Amino acid sequence: MGSILIDQGLEPGTPPEKWNVSHPEKIQKIHLDYFNAGSDAVLTNTFGGSRMKLTAHKHGHSTEKYNQKAVELAREICPENCFIAGDIGPSGAFLPPVGTASVSNFEENFLEQAGYLADADIDFFFIETMVDLKEAEVAVKAVKSVSKIPIFASITFQKTKRGYFTIMGDTVPNCVKTLEKAGANVIGANCTISSDEMIDLIPLISQETILPVLAKPNAGKPQLEKGKTVYLTEPKPFAQDIEQIIKNGASVVGGCCGSNPEFIKEIAKQVKGE
Amino acid sequence: MSFVENCKKAILTGKIEAAEKLAHKAIEENIDVNVAIDAFSLAIRKAGDLFEEGEFFLPELMRSAEAMKAAMTIFKPVLMKGKEDRSLGKVVIGTIEGDIHDIGKTLVASLLSAEGFEVYDLGADVPISTFIDKAVEVDAQIICMSALLTTTMVGQKKLIDQLKEKKLRDKFKILIGGAPISKKWVEEIGADGSAENAVSAVKLARKVLGR
Repeated sequence: MGSILIDQGLEPGTPPEKWNVSHPEKIQKIHLDYFNAGSDAVLTNTFGGSRMKLTAHKHGHSTEKYNQKAVELAREICPENCFIAGDIGPSGAFLPPVGTASVSNFEENFLEQAGYLADADIDFFFIETMVDLKEAEVAVKAVKSVSKIPIFASITFQKTKRGYFTIMGDTVPNCVKTLEKAGANVIGANCTISSDEMIDLIPLISQETILPVLAKPNAGKPQLEKGKTVYLTEPKPFAQDIEQIIKNGASVVGGCCGSNPEFIKEIAKQVKGE
Repeated sequence: MSFVENCKKAILTGKIEAAEKLAHKAIEENIDVNVAIDAFSLAIRKAGDLFEEGEFFLPELMRSAEAMKAAMTIFKPVLMKGKEDRSLGKVVIGTIEGDIHDIGKTLVASLLSAEGFEVYDLGADVPISTFIDKAVEVDAQIICMSALLTTTMVGQKKLIDQLKEKKLRDKFKILIGGAPISKKWVEEIGADGSAENAVSAVKLARKVLGR
């Protein structure tokens, strides 16, 4: 969603969630394109829709409106047998020593957003792109306390010389166990790493849990290689990687930064035979 | 353990109080401050290496940088009294207007400061004019500009263009950072460089000033 909004002219400094109110037809069109491409579920345009994140953009006062409207837009065009996921991304702030936020700041932040999304009739929660396990854990618990619908929780890992870790140094087993204990129903990884790296990461997650595993790798994220910017993945090879990711244990798949409905179409073609 | 080893340990374990105590001890016992600072500096570089190796992560690196800064704050009055200038230079740093991502920028600022640069961190969502005004005001040698979004990267070009218009371009070295930054972009807008990560950014800052 984010990459597409930027392509469509989202101005720097404007939170994408503002478009739920100012450009509702564009948001709906994007959702519809995904459903038509074969998506079973779409994420509401609320990734940065928590008060802390919106306040950084000076839009904190619109938190309730942006979240409500986001769900409304997706619900209006959601086909039968398809689903709407209430998207929750990071607060943008960090705990010490990296930042100055507190656990109670996080709690308050996610309780509020989860409340709006739950009231607005979503099918499940999608907590994603969490680079700090503690923040993810707080978010899952907050959601759990306001709603009984399923919670998907997804961590952003990076590949280091010693394997996969969050930027805070959380290991894969620790992330999986902590999220499971917090009450997540589906656990996985998204963003930063590409589809080929995700193939290696997924077994490390699935061996730690009996819960369903989700994978939403980046596609076509610009990368520096020998001083040149290269776009790594096209829809077809991406979908081939997704097939392998499924064989390796993932049962919920999709695309993160750089992907678009074309990627989903390829996945649907290869995985569901559509 | 020797004094020097204790200094290194304080930084690598990110113990702010221990680093402060050692800095005070150096001053009280008339230990050459340069010996102490060199030990601290070696340790902060080691912390950077460990980060690049995947042994250290953000929290460890930040703690080490904070411990280093705490010690340097104590040494500062002594260095000024002795007219010894160990400052590597003045840096104005911030995330460009329209972009609120500041974790990478903050890490670079902390490491630059730990290394011995005098750092003016303007925060995130910083207007171009603020970068320029501050750099002129403090007589900075380097301006560091971060942008995570492809949409805000253009701000980096605008800043350089405005410096040219004001005939100030040659006064500063311009380093740019952020996930989408490529070497090609650096060349295209006429910046002085970019680095792969915060640790390399510090090395680059020394390099462009020839220090």
